[in-house]
Amino acid sequence: MITIKNLSHEFVIGKKGRQTVIPVLKDISIEVDKGEIVTIIGRSGSGKSTLLNLVSGFIHPKEGEIWMNGVKVSDLNEAGFADFRIDNLGFIFQSFQLIPSMTAFQNVELPLILKGVSEQERKQQTAKMLERVGLQDFQDHYPSELSGGQQQRVSIARALIVNPPIILADEPTGSLDSETEESLLQFIKELNHDYGITFLIITHDEKVAEIGDRMIELKDGRIVEEGVLA
Amino acid sequence: MKIRDQFRFVRQNMKKNRTRVFMTILATAMGCAFLIVLASVGFGLQKSVVKEMLEQSIVTQIDVHGKELKDGGFQPISDKDIPKLEKVKDVKAVTNRFMLQQEGIYSIGNYQAGGETIVTDFPSEVKAGFELSSGRLPKSDNEVVVGYDFPFSLGTKEEVEDLYDHNGHVKKKYRYPEKLLGKNLELTVKQLKNGKQEEKNLELTVVGIGKKPAKEWMQDRKVFISKKIVKEIESFTGTPHGELLGPGEEAPEVSKTNVDIYDEVKIYATNMEAVQGIVDQLKDQHYTTYSVVNELKQVNMVFNIAKAGLIFIGTIAILIASIGIYNTMTMAVTERAPDIGIMKAIGANPKTIKRIFLLESSYIGLIGAVIGTIVSYGISYAVNFAIPFIIKQALGEEPPAGLIFSDIPWILPIICFVICYAVTILSGYRPATRAVKVDVLKAMRREV
Repeated sequence: MITIKNLSHEFVIGKKGRQTVIPVLKDISIEVDKGEIVTIIGRSGSGKSTLLNLVSGFIHPKEGEIWMNGVKVSDLNEAGFADFRIDNLGFIFQSFQLIPSMTAFQNVELPLILKGVSEQERKQQTAKMLERVGLQDFQDHYPSELSGGQQQRVSIARALIVNPPIILADEPTGSLDSETEESLLQFIKELNHDYGITFLIITHDEKVAEIGDRMIELKDGRIVEEGVLA
Repeated sequence: MKIRDQFRFVRQNMKKNRTRVFMTILATAMGCAFLIVLASVGFGLQKSVVKEMLEQSIVTQIDVHGKELKDGGFQPISDKDIPKLEKVKDVKAVTNRFMLQQEGIYSIGNYQAGGETIVTDFPSEVKAGFELSSGRLPKSDNEVVVGYDFPFSLGTKEEVEDLYDHNGHVKKKYRYPEKLLGKNLELTVKQLKNGKQEEKNLELTVVGIGKKPAKEWMQDRKVFISKKIVKEIESFTGTPHGELLGPGEEAPEVSKTNVDIYDEVKIYATNMEAVQGIVDQLKDQHYTTYSVVNELKQVNMVFNIAKAGLIFIGTIAILIASIGIYNTMTMAVTERAPDIGIMKAIGANPKTIKRIFLLESSYIGLIGAVIGTIVSYGISYAVNFAIPFIIKQALGEEPPAGLIFSDIPWILPIICFVICYAVTILSGYRPATRAVKVDVLKAMRREV
């Protein structure tokens, strides 16, 4: 489902003439099968977030290839990646990334609006999705009126609304208390089990990393350990 | 993303900062109103001038004055020219008239009137649109047709102080009281013979009265007589067309003069569009002509240049307003950068983002244009209402009748909308491009 081949990336900082090149990822190759949960763990500065940003298409890789759902996404331009993203990817962010001026319902409905789904259909789908994440009573609440756990559920509902085969999660429990974290991880497992959604999760928390079928550890931009979890 | 949803999105975004959007719309509306009102003055004055010109003449009418000769001379229109003129393409009728070269005095019983005596060819006059209000056209040489106002000018021969009313008609109490149709009129013509004034009377019968002139202010006191009567007059006066001689002046021999020369030859085109073609053909044949269409062309050209100038000045106002739109849109992009980042992250196409922002700037521009147009119609109405009073108060004289100071034809709001739309698209383009370039990671404040 996700194939990363010899991916390398570096950042160039500083003004012209006095630039410094900082290598972030070095020759990374990862294979994620359909329906698999793969967690990428590493300390701050290990390059895990950069890896997710490259897979998400938020940054363009300097070297290497990224394939997702049979498409070589590393060759796509911004517009092409946007179209791919709306059909194939769901995102769960650490800080939820909900639009504050929109209600929970509107936030979840947004991907369907962008996709051009008819109003009647998207209203039905959104209501159903909010029910699925247990937020049917909070649909008219703005993000500021929801708890962290509820906001993350809205974020998950928004990621799931277009039925993506892949969900990319960046520190999904980073802003949650331990109780909410537990229930969210359980929910991710259910989604994976029930719908066969492939998850690529970035985390620094070993407890979160353990929900995966496989765990990959990054250090200084290189894979230092890769193993199947029991 | 469906266009309907894009509009909904835009409306939601605009509601987020109502005051700022309102002020921008207000500035755009003012710019549009300025453009429309300014240009409407050009349109209004053009309409007034053209209306005035058209009221005084018929657009399909071409006056033919004569023919330029190769040696530089000038030849008036004669009988020989009429068939040539009639053959020109798209000519409906050619009327030819000549006038009696002295004022004929017409009397009936104790009443008399002076009138312009004209000889014409009635079949071509009828073709050109000549109509009678009553009676018929002449069949014999001593039958005449009189103008509509002629019966109102037949007043008593007695000396009275206030003979005429405010319309220029003889007051009813002094006027010939009976109907003139079928009555005999006596035409008196004069001539100086051997230093002594002699008179000749000719008996005429009124068989028709012309149609009332189209304009209130016009008066038709003409008397149409036959060529035979003119011949009789010429044989008495000894001059062509009955010309009066001054003391000591010798009469030219009638036999040597060209009696078939016309004073007034008019061509009537089948429609207004054909006028230019006829004028061009006549020019090729060295005829000198005058047509109100030609004059209209010149007038319209001058006004079109003036209108273009006024629209240009008005456009500057919209350009100034567009700075406001640019500012509003730039601030909107800056404020909404995190939202744009989220939308891009979840799969919004850059084109969609650009379209939403362009739509928003267009929305502001078009709402401004609509309000501006409505306001300018109000201003135009008020100006047209107030200007005659202001002129009267300031200059102490009546403004020209039917003066239209400001006129907004349908094309003007369309021009304004097109200019406004183009300007708003231009001013919204850069902010929209900035929105597309919003960096997802920076916008979401994520660490890289």
